[in-house]
Amino acid sequence: MKKISAIIITTLFIGFLLIGVADMPPFGSENNPAHNEVMEKYIYDSLEDTGAVNIVSSMILDYRAFDTFIEASVIFAALITIMTVLKEGGNKYED
Amino acid sequence: MKTSIVKNVVKVILPLIQIFGAYVIIFGHVSPGGGFAGGSIVGSSLILYRLIYGSERADRKFIYFYLLKLVSISLVVYGTLKGLIFILEHLGFNGFIPIGVPGNLLSGGLIMPLNVLIGIVVSITFYFIATLFEEGELENVNGAE
Repeated sequence: MKKISAIIITTLFIGFLLIGVADMPPFGSENNPAHNEVMEKYIYDSLEDTGAVNIVSSMILDYRAFDTFIEASVIFAALITIMTVLKEGGNKYED
Repeated sequence: MKTSIVKNVVKVILPLIQIFGAYVIIFGHVSPGGGFAGGSIVGSSLILYRLIYGSERADRKFIYFYLLKLVSISLVVYGTLKGLIFILEHLGFNGFIPIGVPGNLLSGGLIMPLNVLIGIVVSITFYFIATLFEEGELENVNGAE
C-alpha cells in the first residue's frame, strides 16, 4: 500500500512539473524573457559603471555583490555543518 | 606519499602554486579569474602542504583557531563594506571610491578588495573541509604542545 501510494504521488508530481515545462518558451528563440535589456546594460555600460575590464567580475562583485556574499556565506555554513558532524571534540583553545 | 622525492618536488612547486593563486585573485578584475577560482588554487596548495608534510607541521603553521577567526572576519567585512557602499550610493554619495583607469591594477573601485576577501573565505574553507574528511579532526590531537 505504501509503495502504491508513493508511485501515485510521484507520478502526479512529475505530471504537475511537466505541465510547467510545457508552458516554457522554446529554446533559443529571440523573444525569450531572458533576452531583455539587462544583457545589453551589462555588456555596454559595465566598463563605465564599475571600471573593471572583466565583465563577469563586475557582474558578480558589483551589480550582484550581495549574491556573492550569500554564496560565500553558504560555503561557510557548509563548513560549520561539516565541523558539527565530523569534528570530535574540544580543542586546546577553549577551556 | 611522504618519500623525499615528493617532499623536494613539493618544496619547489608550492610557492609557484601560491603565487599563481594570489595572481588569479588580485588580477580578478582585469583578467579571467576571481575570488572563487583563485581561492580554490590557494586552498589546494594548503591541502597539498598538509598531505605531504604531515599534520603536526601543518598545525604549527596554520593554527585553525585563527584561520576560523579570519574567515568570519572576512565575511563580516565583506557585508559591512558592500552594505555601506549600497547605502551611501542610495543616499547620493556617488563616486565615493574612485574607479580609476580601466585596465590598471588599482581600478574598479571595491572589486579587488572584495575578491581578496572571497579568496580568503574559499581557500580556508576548502582546506578545512579536506582536513575534516581526511582526518576527522581539524588539528592533530596528539601533536606537539
